[in-house]
Amino acid sequence: MTIKYKSVKEFKEMISQKEISNKEIIQEVFNLIDDNKGLNAFITLNEENSIKKAEYFDNNPSELSLAGIPIAQKDLFCTKGLRTTCASNILNNFVPPYTATVIENLENAGCISVGKTNMDEFAMGSSNETSFFGNVHNPWGENLVPGGSSGGAAAAVAAGIVPAASGTDTGGSIRQPASLCGITGIKPTYGRISRWGMIAFASSLDQAGPMARTAEDCAILLNEMCSHDEKDTTSLDETVPNFQENLNKPLKGKKIGIVKDLDLSNLDNDVVEVFENSLKEFQSLGADLVDISLPNLALSVPTYYVVAPAECSSNLSRFDGVKFGRRSEHTKDLEELYVNTRSEGFGDEVKRRILIGSYVLSAGYYDAYYKKAQQVRRLIKNDFENAFSNVDVIMTPTTRGPAFEIGSKGNDPIQMYLEDLFTISANLAGLPALSLPNGFIDNKPIGLQIIGNFLDESSILNFAHMYQSETNWHMHTPEGIK
Amino acid sequence: MDKKTVTTISYLSRLKIDDEKEEKIIEDLDNIIKFVDQLNIIDTSDVAPLTNPLEKTAKTRKDIVTAKNLKKDLLEVAPSSNDDYFLVPRVVE
Repeated sequence: MTIKYKSVKEFKEMISQKEISNKEIIQEVFNLIDDNKGLNAFITLNEENSIKKAEYFDNNPSELSLAGIPIAQKDLFCTKGLRTTCASNILNNFVPPYTATVIENLENAGCISVGKTNMDEFAMGSSNETSFFGNVHNPWGENLVPGGSSGGAAAAVAAGIVPAASGTDTGGSIRQPASLCGITGIKPTYGRISRWGMIAFASSLDQAGPMARTAEDCAILLNEMCSHDEKDTTSLDETVPNFQENLNKPLKGKKIGIVKDLDLSNLDNDVVEVFENSLKEFQSLGADLVDISLPNLALSVPTYYVVAPAECSSNLSRFDGVKFGRRSEHTKDLEELYVNTRSEGFGDEVKRRILIGSYVLSAGYYDAYYKKAQQVRRLIKNDFENAFSNVDVIMTPTTRGPAFEIGSKGNDPIQMYLEDLFTISANLAGLPALSLPNGFIDNKPIGLQIIGNFLDESSILNFAHMYQSETNWHMHTPEGIK
Repeated sequence: MDKKTVTTISYLSRLKIDDEKEEKIIEDLDNIIKFVDQLNIIDTSDVAPLTNPLEKTAKTRKDIVTAKNLKKDLLEVAPSSNDDYFLVPRVVE
């Protein structure tokens, strides 16, 4: 009995039918992690505690929805007693005294957190190349990036090591790696999931979400991850629906918005062809295509690269070597302690974003950049509100192309920023959005993005599940994984 | 974006920029700022800034102390502390 490439749903069946013990599952997960060390998907493992929890479930079979399911947690979520680095040198030795609410929710539902996944440092990156712990390799090709920032999570799921992983998405950090690694991932509506214990990058954009093989698995996880949390005042006090309920609803008569302002002409023909084939599939499922306009969409990347660095520079001021994390050893006075700790602890991309943030927030530039970006942000949100008065979901490609080679965009930050061209607008507007595999280009997977209306994750998951019921792109597995 | 501006914002950010990286950083920041200058093509004079996509007033709770005293746990993860305080280099001579 192998667990490789099994879905959460299949794990649940295997466990309830006693085809495999909980302990055997966990042992096999750690064997797979060991066999695939070369992927560099994990930063810290949680083997001893995982085996203990598995043994507990073997002795006390449980009806909890995720009982015994191995899940990899992004190393951006605080986990009590388990090192949490955010892939940064500055948190290299940080062992949090508390656990993030979303991880607590998953663990209370029975999941076993097997380890902490590699990522771009502080979630700032789209290729996993900014991690202090080295690049994650895409299971679909050793020299390919897995995307980012949730690159370790995407690689671990794509390699079949775990059926699911937690991720976070500030500008595309769940959807873009999901696309590049051929898995499914959803960023829910801003506020659906508590951000308490999630190490903050850009607080008005950050949102956690599940990454898995199928939309159905994402629904199962999302049911457990969402909650109102008094400890996060931006977490929504709204009823959380059962996200599995509408998965099989017929799509007949549903409307898919196609963004006519989106210029696909500078994308590869292959990318456009894969996208258009998916639309045909949805039409054959009974959905209609409707042209919509998002006139300010082209401004979403520049808007993001003001708002996100501004919030980042403010959030990351807490890393000063005084209260937690790593402190520089070269400190003759307090000022030097701050400067040297931060200069030694942060990598180049994080520093770049802090500097941009300090610039756009500084006196004389605040109105020209920060306020301006927030005004454009409202226009982008208004565009979506108008569009959703007439459609159920909006579809775009998730990325401009499949996974690229490690190092190929290294020297030009803007080229890397444009990697999130299609994903960023959903974060600016706070909308839920999902990526699922919808084809291959040169044997590399690529994804389709489905954006939903505010709080309407159910529609996205419905579209995604119906698509996955008719296609098998999500079932493909990479060669060369041990 | 010039050397003087970068010196100011790196001071505000409490970051030291290595001499050999300075030129590249100035160039990168300059390109990023030019890139975000695109925002000026659109008139936003009557648009209210959007600070948060929810635009909801934060929910309040009853004013009852719920926080536990985590002093020991928090001091334990500090780079330097004694029984009661975080320790830093002497500030007052």
